[in-house]
Amino acid sequence: MRFKMYGSFRCRMVLLLLFLLLDCNFSNCLADTSSEATMHTNNWAVLVCTSRFWFNYRHMANTLSLYRTVKRLGIPDERIILMLADDMACNARNKYPAQVFNNENHKLNLYGDNVEVDYRGYEVTVENFLRVLTGRHENAVPRSKRLLSDEGSHILLYMTGHGGDEFLKFQDSEELQSHDLADAVKQMKEKRRFKELLIMVDTCQAATLFSQLQSPGVLTIGSSMKGENSYSHHLDSDVGVSVVDRFTFYTLGFFERLNMYNNDSLISLFSSYNPSMLMSTAYYRTDLYQRHLEEVPVTNFFGSVMEMIHTDSAYSLLSRKESFRVEIKMSADKSVPDKKRLMDNPSRLDQISELNIEDQHGALKRIWSTIQKEMEKVEDVDAFVSYGLVLIVPLLTVSMWLTW
Amino acid sequence: MEPKEQSKEKKEKLWFWNWVIASVIFRLVLIYFPKNLNLASRPEVSTPLTSLRRLAEGYWLKQLSMSPYAGSMYHGSPLLLSLLGPLTVKRIEGQPDHLLCSLVFVIADIVNAMLIRATGQNLQMEYTRSLKLLDHVKLSEKPEIIPSGDIAALVYLWNPFTIVACVGLSTSPIENLAIILSLYGACKRQAPLAAFGWVIATHLSLYPAILIIPMILLLGYGTDTPPRKLFLQRRNVEVGDNPPNDRCCEREEVVHRSEVPHVFSWRPVIHFFCWTSLWSVYVLVLCGISVKQYGGLWELFKRTYGFMLTVQDLSPNIGVLWYFFAEVFDFFRNFFLIVFHGNILFMMLPLAIRLKHRPCFLAFVYIAISSMLKSYPSVGDSALYLGLLGLFVNELADMQFSFFLFCGYVGVSLLSPVMHNLWIWRGTGNANFYFATAMAYACLQIILVVESVSAMLNHDRKLRKPLTELQDGKN
Repeated sequence: MRFKMYGSFRCRMVLLLLFLLLDCNFSNCLADTSSEATMHTNNWAVLVCTSRFWFNYRHMANTLSLYRTVKRLGIPDERIILMLADDMACNARNKYPAQVFNNENHKLNLYGDNVEVDYRGYEVTVENFLRVLTGRHENAVPRSKRLLSDEGSHILLYMTGHGGDEFLKFQDSEELQSHDLADAVKQMKEKRRFKELLIMVDTCQAATLFSQLQSPGVLTIGSSMKGENSYSHHLDSDVGVSVVDRFTFYTLGFFERLNMYNNDSLISLFSSYNPSMLMSTAYYRTDLYQRHLEEVPVTNFFGSVMEMIHTDSAYSLLSRKESFRVEIKMSADKSVPDKKRLMDNPSRLDQISELNIEDQHGALKRIWSTIQKEMEKVEDVDAFVSYGLVLIVPLLTVSMWLTW
Repeated sequence: MEPKEQSKEKKEKLWFWNWVIASVIFRLVLIYFPKNLNLASRPEVSTPLTSLRRLAEGYWLKQLSMSPYAGSMYHGSPLLLSLLGPLTVKRIEGQPDHLLCSLVFVIADIVNAMLIRATGQNLQMEYTRSLKLLDHVKLSEKPEIIPSGDIAALVYLWNPFTIVACVGLSTSPIENLAIILSLYGACKRQAPLAAFGWVIATHLSLYPAILIIPMILLLGYGTDTPPRKLFLQRRNVEVGDNPPNDRCCEREEVVHRSEVPHVFSWRPVIHFFCWTSLWSVYVLVLCGISVKQYGGLWELFKRTYGFMLTVQDLSPNIGVLWYFFAEVFDFFRNFFLIVFHGNILFMMLPLAIRLKHRPCFLAFVYIAISSMLKSYPSVGDSALYLGLLGLFVNELADMQFSFFLFCGYVGVSLLSPVMHNLWIWRGTGNANFYFATAMAYACLQIILVVESVSAMLNHDRKLRKPLTELQDGKN
C-alpha cells in the first residue's frame, strides 16, 4: 500500500515541478521583453546645479528656470530632485533678497513661494549625485531625497555648471567624469530604474560628458562640443552678475510658449538651437535612443502627461468586497510580476511537503491542514465572522442545557 | 413573624433595585455630557489595549482592506473589532458620538453586577451550609450577616472607577464581563460557561489565564468553605461525643453530617478542559479567518500578546512599568520583562496552596495582583477586584487599615490627574510627580492584598477556636 501511494506521490511531484519550471520560464520571458512591453507610467526630473559662489549666479538661475518649467508642465515636487550647490537667493550680496531672476527685466521671480530644494549647499557632491542616480542610499535618507523611479519612468537629467573635456566640476573642489556618469547610467539600466532618459548638460565642452555612454534608451544633448565654450547670455547690471546662460535661455524661450497639451516634438526643440546665437554648437546623440525624435513630444520628458485607462466600475472606499475583486482582476490582466508567482510557489511546495509528511505525522496534521484549506476558501470574511460570533450565544445555551 | 420578614425582604430587594436603576441613570446622564467629559483621553482610563478610539482606527483600517494592526494603533482581538467596530461608525443625529458603544458598556456593567450578585448569593448559601455542618450555631445564624452579593453588586456599580471606565469608553467592562462570567460558571459548576468565560477573557487580555487555578479548584472542590481541618476536627469531636449505644444510627448521622466534599472530583475538571479546548479552537478558527489576509495567526499573536508581553508602548499610565522600561538599558530589557511577569507567576503557587479551600477569594487575589503588575493597567481593572472584594464583606469585616486604604484610593484618584496636568500641560512638574502617584497606587494595592489575605486567614483561625475549645472541654 505504502509503495503504491509513494508512486502516485512521485508522479504528482514530477508534474508539479514541471508546472513550476514552466511558470518560471514564463515569468522570465515576460521580464526580457523590456522597454517595449513596459508602459510609460511616470516622469521624473533630476536638476543639478554644481557651482557655488556668487559669480555663478547664472547656473542657479538656469536650474531654477528649468525647475519652474518642468513644474509648470506637470511634474510634481515629489518627482523632482532639485540639487542646488549654493544659496543665491539669500546670499548677502543679493540686492533682491529671496529673489532669483533669469532676465534683466526681472519679470519672473524664480524663487517664488513654491520651491522645494532636496539637496542644498554642501550636500551637492559627486557621491550624493551618483547615489541619487543609482538609488544606493543609507537607510536614514528620507524618501524625498531618493529617486524612486521604476521601469516605466522617463527621467530628465539636467546639469549645469563649469565643465571641460570629459568632466563636470562640482562645488569647485571635485569633478564628475564621463565614465562615472556612464557607469551610473549603466547601473540604472541594469536595475531597471528608467524606461527612457534625457540628459541635458549646459557647461563648456558639454558633449564630451556623455562620450562614454552605452546604455540603450538614453538621449543626450549638450550645449557645446569639444573645444567650444558655452557662454552666458547677458549681464544684469542691477544684480551685478550674468543671470542666464545662452543654451538655457533659448531652451526656455522654446518652452515659454508651450503648455501641457502641446504636441511639439523633440526634434523641433533640438533644431531650434541656432549655433550663431548660442555661440557654440548644441550637439545631441541619438544613436542610443530607438524612437524617432519626430514622434516624441517634449512633454515626454519635460512634462508629465499620463496615459489614462478608463473603467466603468465605480471606485468606493467602504465596500471591501469590490476592491478585493478588483485586485484579483488587475493581477490577472497585467503581465503578472514575479512577486505573485513567488507567492504561489511556496503554497505548492507546502502541499508537496504536506503530502510527504502526512503518512508520517497522522491525524492531527491532517485535521489542521483541512481546517486551513477550508479557511482559505472562505471569501466573505466579515459575514462569516459575524455569523460565528452570533452563533456563540445559542451554542452556549445549548451546552449549558446539556450539562445542567 | 412571617409577613414581617417577607415585607423586610421586599424592602431590601426594592432598595437594591432602586440603587441599580439610579446607577444606570447616572451613567446615562454622564454619557450625555459633552465629549464624555474628556474621560476617554485620561491615561488612567484608556490604555493602548482598552481605548475605543484605537478600536475605531483599527476598524477604519480594516474597512480600507488594510491590516487593523498596521500602524500600531489597535492591539486587541479581531473579534472585538467585528463586534464593536460597526458601532463606532454609526452616528445618530443630535446624540453624542459613540452613543451605541456607551450603551453596550452600560449593559455590560449591568450584566456584571447581576452576575456578581448571583455569585455572591451562591457563595453565601454554600458558606452558611458549610457552617451549619460545622455546627457553628453562633456564626451561621448571626443576624448581622450582610447579603454579600447585593453589597458587591452595588459596590461594583457605584464605584467611581467603574463609572469612569464605562463613560470613558474603555473596553474593560467587556473584559470584566468575561472574567465574571467564568467565575459565575465555575461557582455554579457549569463547565461550558466557565470554559467560555475563561477562553474569552484570556483571548481579550492575556492575564486572566492565571485564573485557571481558581477555576480548577472551584470545579473540583466547590466554592469557598472553611478549611478542611475543621471538618475533620468536627468529625472527631462528634465521634468522641456519641455514646456507644446508638452507634448504628449515629454513625449514619455522622457520615451524613460530614458529607462536605473533601474529595477533589475530577469529572467537572475534565469537562472543563474539554470545553476549553472546544471553545479555544472555535475562537482561534474565527480569528484565523478574520486575519488570514493580514499575515495569519502568528502575526495576530505578535501584535496582541507580543505587544502586551514586551511592553512596546511606554506612554504613562497608572501602572509602574512604563517609567521603569523607559530607562532600562536594552541589554537588560528582556530580563526585566521576565522579572515583572514572573512576579505574577510565582505568587500563584504559594497562594494556591494556602488558600485552596477558598477558590473565589484566590481568584480575587490573583486578579488584584495581575491588575497591579500587568503591562497596561487602568482603573477598569481595579473596578473589577474592588467589586469582588465586596463578596467577602462578612469574612473581611475585621480587616485592618480599611479606612487608610479608602482614603488612599480617594487621594490617589484625585491627585493623579492633577500631577498629570502639572507634568504634561503646564510643564511645571515632571514625570516623577505622576510616577509618585502611580507608586502610591501600587503600594495601596499591595496593602489591600496583604491585609485582605491576612484578614481571611484570621477569620479561618477564629472558626477553629470554638472547635478546639470544645475538644479541650471534652478532653
